[in-house]
Amino acid sequence: MDRKKPRKEMVFGKRRKSCPFKSAGVRHIDYKDVDTISQFITERGKIIPRRITGVSLHYQRLLTKAIKKARYMALLPFVAQD
Amino acid sequence: MSKARKNLYEGMYILSATLSEDARKKAIEKITSSINFHTGEVHKIFEQGRRKLAYEVNGRREGYYYVIYFTAGASSMPELWREYQLNEDLIRFMTLRVETVPESLEFKSLATTE
Repeated sequence: MDRKKPRKEMVFGKRRKSCPFKSAGVRHIDYKDVDTISQFITERGKIIPRRITGVSLHYQRLLTKAIKKARYMALLPFVAQD
Repeated sequence: MSKARKNLYEGMYILSATLSEDARKKAIEKITSSINFHTGEVHKIFEQGRRKLAYEVNGRREGYYYVIYFTAGASSMPELWREYQLNEDLIRFMTLRVETVPESLEFKSLATTE
C-alpha cells in the first residue's frame, strides 16, 4: 500500500533543464556579447531550439532578437560554410 | 508647442578596413558632427578595432567597429540614417534605443583581431 509511485521524471529518465539565463538573473541579452550568444547557435549558424538548450520562452525570444541583430552587424554568420 | 522628445541611442558602425588612419578619423568625425548638427549630443565613443566580418559585405572581409552612445531627437533619426546610407566608407550601421550608457564594453571578442 505504501509503495511509492515512480515519479514521472524517473520513468522517462529525463530531467528538466533549468534556464541558464533565468538562473543567472540576466535582464537583457546583449547582441554585442558574441561569446554568450554563440553558445546557442549551431556550427552552421542556426539558432538551437529551446527544447534542447532548456532556455525559457521569455529568454529565447530575447535571444533570437539578439542573434538576429548580431547577424546583421556581421558578428555572427547567417550561414556558416565549413 | 512641446519640445521634441530626445532619446538615448546606441549606434554601432562598421567602417571600411581599407581606410587609412586619417581617413578613418575623418569618417568618424563626420558621423559625430552630423549627430551634433541635428542638435544631438555624443556621450561616448568605443573603438572596437579591426575585426573579421562573419560574411562578406559588398566584397569586404574586414571592418573597423565603433560603438557610439548619443542622445538625439526622435525626428532627426531618419535624417541621420539617410546620411549614413550616402556615406560610402560606412559598411553597416545600426542604431538602437537604450536606457543607460555603459562605463565600459566588457566583451573582449570584439576587440581581438583574428
